[in-house]
Order: sequence, then structure tokens, then C-alpha cells
Amino acid sequence: MTGNKILSIQGLRTEFPTPHGPIVAVNGVDLEVARGEVLGIVGESGSGKTVLGLSAMGLIDLPGKVTAGRILFGGQDLTRHTEAQWQAIRGKRMAMVFQDPTTSLNPVQRIGAQMIEALQAHRDISKDAAKRIVLEAMVRVGINSPEERLLSYPHQFSGGMRQRVVIATALLNEPDLIIADEPTTALDVTVQAQILRDVRRLCQDAGTALIWVSHDLGVVAQIAHRVAVMYAGRIVEQGITNRLLKTPSHPYTAGLIASMPTNAKRGERLRSIPGGLPQLSNLPVGCAFAPRCAQASAACDVLPELVSTSAEHAVRCVSPLNEAA
Amino acid sequence: MQSVVVLFVMSLIVFSMINLVGDPVDMLVNPESLPDEIERVRRDFGLDQPVYIQYWKFLTGALSGDLGNSFVFGRPALTLMAERFPATLELAVSALIIAVMIGLPLGVYAGLRPDGLGARFIMGLSVLGISIPTFWLGLMMIILFSVILGWLPVSGRGETAVFLGIESSMFTLDGLKHLAMPATNLALFKIAMVMRLARAGTTEVMAQDFIRFARAKGLSSRRIVRAHLMPNILIPIVTVLGIEFGTLIAFATVTESIFAWPGLGKLVIDAIVNLDRPIVVAYLLFVVALFLVLNLVVDIIYAVLDPRVRLQGDEG
Repeated sequence: MTGNKILSIQGLRTEFPTPHGPIVAVNGVDLEVARGEVLGIVGESGSGKTVLGLSAMGLIDLPGKVTAGRILFGGQDLTRHTEAQWQAIRGKRMAMVFQDPTTSLNPVQRIGAQMIEALQAHRDISKDAAKRIVLEAMVRVGINSPEERLLSYPHQFSGGMRQRVVIATALLNEPDLIIADEPTTALDVTVQAQILRDVRRLCQDAGTALIWVSHDLGVVAQIAHRVAVMYAGRIVEQGITNRLLKTPSHPYTAGLIASMPTNAKRGERLRSIPGGLPQLSNLPVGCAFAPRCAQASAACDVLPELVSTSAEHAVRCVSPLNEAA
Repeated sequence: MQSVVVLFVMSLIVFSMINLVGDPVDMLVNPESLPDEIERVRRDFGLDQPVYIQYWKFLTGALSGDLGNSFVFGRPALTLMAERFPATLELAVSALIIAVMIGLPLGVYAGLRPDGLGARFIMGLSVLGISIPTFWLGLMMIILFSVILGWLPVSGRGETAVFLGIESSMFTLDGLKHLAMPATNLALFKIAMVMRLARAGTTEVMAQDFIRFARAKGLSSRRIVRAHLMPNILIPIVTVLGIEFGTLIAFATVTESIFAWPGLGKLVIDAIVNLDRPIVVAYLLFVVALFLVLNLVVDIIYAVLDPRVRLQGDEG
């Protein structure tokens, strides 16, 4: 691929062995992120979106393992990296923000120390110099009186403030890519909107690419240039956000859009997709969504490929919707 | 205030219980003494009076810092205890240091690699450490290190030296040799306990999001263990150890008896055998007071280690 791709994931497979056979949480995922691009990854709980993010950071805990595929980041294949090589990349060129800000910070260490160590892990820098950078970063994410806040402990912060600290920490080393795993899910709606706006602005200013993982299509629609929809460890559709939301090709995407509360009329019952995710250790042979799909036919017993319908769009379905579009 | 009530109730219980155990006069006088001589001894110690009068005398004495004289030694119980206390303190402190130095690293190691062979071996050892009786192991240690190998002295406290104003056998080679076996023996149970606490804490903390976030920051494993794991697991360990330190001092009796260590435990065992009431009562009150003080100290340390329990002056 061309040089403006910062991350290119090819055929990635992440498995967790269990006594009843392996659970394949990520099952042959191909993904690309360009420099400065915002990619949304959408899927319901258990679709493998979080594991995908962790795999890209090399943070899968044993006994889980990336068993196949490549993670090309800045031209290097990270799957071949040693732990020491990973450490040099993590936090420096690729950073991560987690879902729950109340647990992302060490409760017994001061905020300042936790941020400064992120700088010192990658640069030979004095504590004072690191402190100056940290203070600037705190101002940038909208934390008032940062000097004082440096000495605070996490429990003295609200959830939104803590997430701002986490985001500021992720941005400290000016990474090329940030993977944000549902960073606003645990927050109030108003705080959610602010943080969403701030993150988008900060990444834009710094030219940082962003992978925004969420179960909330509405949030992703506000921030992402492109969206990839995941189902049972596979990408079932990806494309430009606007087009994908307006004319979804995969029945699952269409179902997600129909389930968004904002698309429901007043007084109408909220819609949902019938059924639940299949067992990841026991996937159907064909399309994993077929059992819940209204369009399912005999042809769905064979696993469809992810087929490109245009330069910017691909879908994994034998009878995609909106084909004319 | 509560502490005072606890001490008072304790003194009441101890005093009434010990009066049931037996007549100390029988132990104090020659069995062939004449009846009027026995009566004289009884009167001298005030044992001819009703129990409640004895208790009242004891209580008024105690309030002015006098816990009575030892029947056997004829000297104040508190003085006798004060003389023995440094030896016991030294033994307890050494045991605590050994327990932390050995138990903590092993426990953390086992917690970091919970499925590894090393971890299983370590946890097996900890089960042994908890289940082997202290007195038996003490005897075995004496047989091995003193009798067979001849490396360490069998009993007693060695030479002492004064360092930084503290007189202790920790500062002489001979003293250390004498200290090694009893301290290790006393520490054994605590090693196993610290190990289990450290392992449980480690597995719990390592699964936390903030550890994952620390890894996502690109920190080395060593840094994560030192800066993020340790401060978090130390909170419960210090809490438990604070109280356990009390039991080390209070119940070093078995170890002190085996190794003839001239500490408080030895004193009180002898006192119990001789029905030397003032010593037994004074000792038990001392233990209660010790636990009360340790509880306070633990609360203070807890606040130092965990910012979440500090008094909150600033808003959240």
C-alpha cells in the first residue's frame, strides 16, 4: 500500500484457548488507517472490536494470542516484535485510551507522576521538562489549574476529568495513532459530546490517526471518516461514514442503523435486531449473521468474502442491500 | 475512650479467671511449712482477702502505674517485663523483616506467573509453611543446624551491642547467630502468609485496567511492578502485618520456649507455671494495650499509603 497508510492489518486472527476449543475473537480482519484519518469500528458487545484494538497494541493477555495475520505499522510487521520492541512503540507511536476512566489510572499515584512516567519511558528527559510538557497537555484537554491537578489523586477527579487525563497522557508523545476503546461510553452524555469534540480537534491539530471503537453508531457517525462494522470477529461492512449510514449494504449494518434511538419516531417502540451473537467457539459455517437475518437464504451457508463494491466500500454478504446505490 | 473500656473489661476477665486456676501460695511456700507460716505468706500477698477487694487494690494500683510485684521475684511486674521486652521485640522485628524479604518477592513472582511451575512450587511451600507446627520445625532446626551441622548455637540470646542508642544482638555476629534460628522459626508462618497475600494481591492488581494502561504507555515490566503493582498490593499487606506484628510479640512464647530466648514469652510461660499472678495479669494487659496501639498505627500507615482514605480537605 502507499506510504500514507499508517496502519495496515492483514488477515489478523486472535484466539483464546478454552477447554472447549479456542474462541476466535478476531477472525481474519483486514483494516487500513491512513495518516490523520479517523476510523470508527462498530459492533455489539462480544463482536471482537476491543480485542482487535488490543491486538494492534500487542496487549493481548496470555493465554490469548494473535495466531495469524500481520500488523503493519509504519512499514514494520508488529506481530514479529519482541516485548522490548513493543514497549518502544506503545505509548510513543501508538497510544490507547480505555473505556472506563475510573479504572484506567492508578488510584495510589498522583496524576502528575502517572503522566510524567509516560514521557520518561520514551525520552531521556528531566522531570521538570517533562512536567512542562504535561502541564501544556493538560491545558490542551481542558483541565483547569493544572499545576494543582498534577498533585491530585485520581479519586479527586470526576469521570470526565479522568478521561481527559487519560487522553492527555495518550497524546503526550505525539503518537501517529491512537486507539480509543469506547472512551465516552462510561460518561454522561454532555461530557461525552465535549470529549468527542475535543478528541477530534486534538487529533486533527496533531495529524494523529484515530481508531474509535464503539458500540454506538451515533457516536461514531459524529467523529469517523470511515466506519468498519464488526460482527462475530469479522468485518462485515466498511465504507465512508455518510454513505454507509445512508445506504447500508449489509443487513446487520441496516439493523444497527434501524436500532438507533434517534431514528425512531416519537412514541414508537425502539427497534432491535432479533436474536443474539453466536457463540464464538462454535460459529456457523457460513455467514455468522444468517440466523438473525431476514434476508438469509441457502446461499448464506457458505461464508461470503468481503467484496469491494467500490474503491471505498466493501461488504461481506451474498445478497447486499441497496445494490443500486 | 473505647480503648480504656476494653482494657478495663480485659482486666476484669483476666483477674477473675486467674483466681479460678489455683492457689499460688501452694507454689510459693515449702510444702513442709507450718500452717501459720502459710497463713503469713497468704496475708503478705493479700491473698487472704476477698477477690473483689484484691481486684480493687489491683485496679487502684494499676491506675497509678503499679501492676503489683511478682510473687516469685519480689520485684514490680512492669520492671520485669520491661527488662525482657527488648529481646522479644528484637525477635519479632527480625521475624517480620525475614517474612517480608522472603514472602513478598516470592508472592509477587507467583502472582505474575500464576500458571508457571515456579508459582506452583512456591504456593506448595506456602501450604507447608502454614501447616507445619512451629514447635516441631523449631526442634528439627535445632537438630539440623546445631546438633548435626553445628553451625548455629542451640539456645539463648548472644552478645549484644549498642548501635544508634539501641541495644540489640542484631549488631554482633554472635548475636545474629543466636537470632537466626528463632527468628526464622517465628517468621515461617508469616512468610507463608505474606506470600499468599502478595500473590493474591498481584493477580488481582495485574488484571486491573490501570496496569493495562501503564503497559499501553510503553512502560517496562519492571517499572510497572515497582510503580504500579507494589504500592497497590502493599496496602492490604501492611494492614495485616501490623496486626500480625502484635501476634509475633504476644505469641512468640512457643519459639522463645524452644530456643530458651530470654524474652517476654519465656517470662510469662514461667509465670503461668508458677501461678505468678501479677506477671500474668500484667502481661495480658500489656498484650491488649499492644494490639490497641498497633490498630492505631495501622490506621495511620494506611492513610499514608492510600490517598483515598486520607482526610479530604479538597473537593472531588
